[in-house]
Amino acid sequence: MLESFIVPLLAATVQSGTPILYATLGEILTEKGGVLNLGVEGMMSMAAFAAFFVTMTTGNPWFGFIAGGIAGVFMAALHGLVCITCLGNQVVSGLALTILGVGLCNFLGTPYIGTATEGFDKFSFPVLSAIPYIGDIFFRQDALVYVSYLIPVLFMFFINRTSLGLAITAVGEKPAAAAAVGLKAVRLRWIALLGGGFLIGLGGSYLSLAYTHLWANGLSGGRGWIAVALVIFAFWRPGRAVFGAYLFGGVMAFQLRLQAVGTHIPSSLLLMLPYSLTILVLIFSAMRGRSGNAPAHLGINIEPEG
Amino acid sequence: MLGYRLQKRDEPWNWGVPIVIVGALVLSFGISALLLELQGKSAVQGLLVLWQGSFGASWALEDALLKSIPIFLCALGVATAFRMQVWNIGAEGQFALGAIGATWAALTFPDLPGIVLMPLMFICAAIFGAFWAYIPAILRLKLQVNEIISTLMLNYIAILLLEYLVFGAWKDPASFGFPVTPEFTPGAIIGQIGDSRLHWGFAVCVGSGIAMWAFMRFTRLGFEIKVAGEGERIAMYSRLPYGMLTILVMAISGALAGWAGCIEASATINRLQPSIMVGYGYTAIVVAWLARLHPLYIGISAYLLAALRVGVENMQLELQTPASFGSIMEGLILMSVLAGQMFVTYKIVKKK
Amino acid sequence: MSQTDFTRPECQKATGFEGCAPLISLKGITKRFGKVVANNDISLDLYPGRIKALLGENGAGKSTLMSMLAGRFRPDEGYIEVDGKRVDFSNSKDAIKAGVGMVYQHFMLVDTMTVAQNVLLGQEGGFFVNPKEMEERVRKLAEDYELEIDPSAKVSTLSMGEKQRVEILKLLYRESRVLIFDEPTAVLTPREAFRLFEALWAMTRQGKSVVFISHKLEEVMAIADEVAILRRGNIDAEVSRDKITSKADLACRMVGKEVILEVDKEDVEIGDKVLEVKDMTGIGLRDINLEVRKGEVVAIVGVAGNGQQELVEGVCGMRKPPKDKIFIMGKPWRKFFAEMTWNNSMSYIPEDRLDLATARNLDLVDNLLLSTRQGFSAGPLLQHDKAAKVAEELVEEYDVRPGRIRALAWQLSGGNLQKMVLARELYRQPHLIVAEQPTQGLDISATEEVWNRLLEARKMAGVLLVTGDLGEALQLADRVAVMYCGQIMDEFSVNDKEKVDSIGLLMAGVRE
Repeated sequence: MLESFIVPLLAATVQSGTPILYATLGEILTEKGGVLNLGVEGMMSMAAFAAFFVTMTTGNPWFGFIAGGIAGVFMAALHGLVCITCLGNQVVSGLALTILGVGLCNFLGTPYIGTATEGFDKFSFPVLSAIPYIGDIFFRQDALVYVSYLIPVLFMFFINRTSLGLAITAVGEKPAAAAAVGLKAVRLRWIALLGGGFLIGLGGSYLSLAYTHLWANGLSGGRGWIAVALVIFAFWRPGRAVFGAYLFGGVMAFQLRLQAVGTHIPSSLLLMLPYSLTILVLIFSAMRGRSGNAPAHLGINIEPEG
Repeated sequence: MLGYRLQKRDEPWNWGVPIVIVGALVLSFGISALLLELQGKSAVQGLLVLWQGSFGASWALEDALLKSIPIFLCALGVATAFRMQVWNIGAEGQFALGAIGATWAALTFPDLPGIVLMPLMFICAAIFGAFWAYIPAILRLKLQVNEIISTLMLNYIAILLLEYLVFGAWKDPASFGFPVTPEFTPGAIIGQIGDSRLHWGFAVCVGSGIAMWAFMRFTRLGFEIKVAGEGERIAMYSRLPYGMLTILVMAISGALAGWAGCIEASATINRLQPSIMVGYGYTAIVVAWLARLHPLYIGISAYLLAALRVGVENMQLELQTPASFGSIMEGLILMSVLAGQMFVTYKIVKKK
Repeated sequence: MSQTDFTRPECQKATGFEGCAPLISLKGITKRFGKVVANNDISLDLYPGRIKALLGENGAGKSTLMSMLAGRFRPDEGYIEVDGKRVDFSNSKDAIKAGVGMVYQHFMLVDTMTVAQNVLLGQEGGFFVNPKEMEERVRKLAEDYELEIDPSAKVSTLSMGEKQRVEILKLLYRESRVLIFDEPTAVLTPREAFRLFEALWAMTRQGKSVVFISHKLEEVMAIADEVAILRRGNIDAEVSRDKITSKADLACRMVGKEVILEVDKEDVEIGDKVLEVKDMTGIGLRDINLEVRKGEVVAIVGVAGNGQQELVEGVCGMRKPPKDKIFIMGKPWRKFFAEMTWNNSMSYIPEDRLDLATARNLDLVDNLLLSTRQGFSAGPLLQHDKAAKVAEELVEEYDVRPGRIRALAWQLSGGNLQKMVLARELYRQPHLIVAEQPTQGLDISATEEVWNRLLEARKMAGVLLVTGDLGEALQLADRVAVMYCGQIMDEFSVNDKEKVDSIGLLMAGVRE
């Protein structure tokens, strides 16, 4: 049971949690700077296509991986243009970005449906993969999973131990305070938004380059929205984001496995699991009463003065 | 910003609103045309086909009017919730539940005469839709659960629930395995108005539109909703029943979307099947925002976006462009309108 | 306030800076906001080692002027000279570089960060930061200036006085030569205020120039070397402290007429109890006992943040107090609010005029309906026409400008908005009025009008006045209650001379 079911399930958990992890961390960075970006779903879709397309044309999946990140940056820039520069409503702009991103992804991707491409294959990480169980779960994965292990640590270091990280936190909490000490509040918001967009984009890349090596429309399948919800669950802290992402990875992997085994439970009910879990997770976070951890100025535009 | 900065206007520039919308449309069409060129299709031809499909023929106008019915109802509901700053993104799911409710009534009492069955279907649709909207409302009130995400997740769940039903319990035994319910009995089908293809669902639209307008304009509850939209603290100061109002707007929102689902199932496809879900609930958000939440303008923008959908379908047939071309345009229009609204409250002045 | 002698001791004098050239000169600064001229052709010199007081009523343009000096706004006309050279501040950073720092009235601190992080924000001196090392730097700086603070504490846990010290440390760390303080004592107890003054004197001894913005005369008298008086955006007078003979003299110069604001208070018959708070503990308050009767004004005074807000919100139904502790018009809280009608009941005039008492994006008719809508209801319908007519009358009667009832709340100035709120709340014929900082930010004529209206209202109601302005309390009230740390320290009649003199100590929590 342990060898044949649990360990493979946990390994699959890590794999399906990884794109969510990238996206959640990206959204945390964005929101730390005070911008609410609900466009994650659209950004991941676009990034998945960009990653697929660049890999297909260049043959190098690393180029594709970065291309996905860049696509995320471009999408985030659209949001920034509407909200930071033109002071549009952040909620509605994020929704529009999702509608646009998903549409664009399907529009551009339709001709390639079913096309296979290079991607990231699993390999055993030297030495560490020999650890019983742990090695099987965490260190027989693809390269992007290994990269994702580093990101939360780097992220925490960035926020707490660099001047830029502190400045971004200040802007999310109180832009006026940041401006009063001579920080450029608007520019910092852009940095957080675009940096977050890059991470979200990497999450999209993972979907088309490692999760599958085959292009299909609708790859994101609500993961972007789950990431937005996980930010609340994580109380804006990267450590809890890891936990949340793997929790969802676990449910998705479990649900797929059940379908594959062929139970009597209709697949539509199984597919509901991650979405229902999202609501439960939000209820759970609300009961812990930590929604006050949100950056104080989240979702509020910086209006120009005088 | 490059030697220019924004300055708040003393009075909002009301004439700017139509200009901004026209500008947004032009920009969005421009970018979309560029996309067509990128795919190796003629942009000019594409826009021509789009125009033909949207406004170029009487069938197109009629099609757009038909499509605008569910969009209008969803948007009317969405706008009511948005006015109170309750971000109901769940029209899509509430639409699905409405369709499920109406179908349940139609399948359970197939032999009732239309005069009884039809109101029953509408009531069921309204209750189911309102219930689906009640869940996020109560979660927000009791636990401060973010309604944007909960309504969205409920959309996914609603669609899966609909699939579960038509793949399972409600599947037509005579459908050769296709996931559809049996066709509704005549009493459960909304009839045509005269000889046109337009059905009586249109009258429901007009009626609800006028009713909502009057409700918001003349009643105390309507005023209270407007005030509640100005912020929870002001609501508290004014001793408004904020929780009750939240539930009310969500229920109205859900019931209207539910009606849209009911009309779509009854009048358009005469049964329930997964293809009923075509994203009207999301289009409704675009429509409501374009119309600045005003019922009359919602009518106009619902028609315009319905026409856009018909036009895109035409392009799909003639130029084989993917259906998602429509979402691209919707997203672009909404984003450019949002950005453009800056010009209504701000003016750009030269830095000294 | 006579309890503390603020006069600058001889040993605190800054010497050796006589005859120095000004550090900073303002040259003909003009700033407009839309049609309003906030500052008109202002010239001012700031010298090292000296404290310049900038005195003026609220809305006279003090804050605007200093915001320009701190680089937040840019002047429409005129310019600033630093060390005799013309400079052009395009943002706060430029001003900081030129050595100008400002402590804003509303602190510019990030609550979720530590003291050290706040002090070093934007000045970390490198991409990577080390919390330990940062705290050490701030600790050392604080010791140098004898400012007591824990550098590793979260700002959200600090008292107002401590927060102000963080703001000062921010400026000192940036080696500011000109330090601007915008109403720094508004949030301090007299004792804390005195410690602040000592810190200011210490700074001048090191050759720094201090600008002290205030409208409190005794403070200005105590610490200023020279006083500039700002009135309606113009510098009205600039005098050396030695030339000012008395507080009355200064007041006269500030207001431009002989008398300071005073209102005639005729006697009104005292009637039934309209508010009673009995032994209330909870919602951040302890053992509160309070009574307001029809026909009297009871003032609650104290430093902001000592429970006044909790008390007001409890009384006004904005938060739920413990059961059976508050009685309004003889009814228990719960029952009162359940049965409350729009008129002949209670009115609340909050400090937050925009965004609490009014909705900024609604017009005056809708804003009138905010608390009176029950009076304009006919079944489920709302009589907009009738409301518009009443709004028209009220706008006329109270002289609310601009006189259009379709103007949106945000387009009104603070004074006019307050008049509208007052008009609406008095139209409801209340028996209990809770007024919170009713004249904050208002000019003299508006203040006078508000005071007269409140005194007039005593004929139908009891008034609970919450104010940070002792003068206002003494002018209007029959009885004064002093709050400190969620408690009422003492309550007494305004005629009790001895008690009135001890208010300052009571505000600091000291009972004799």
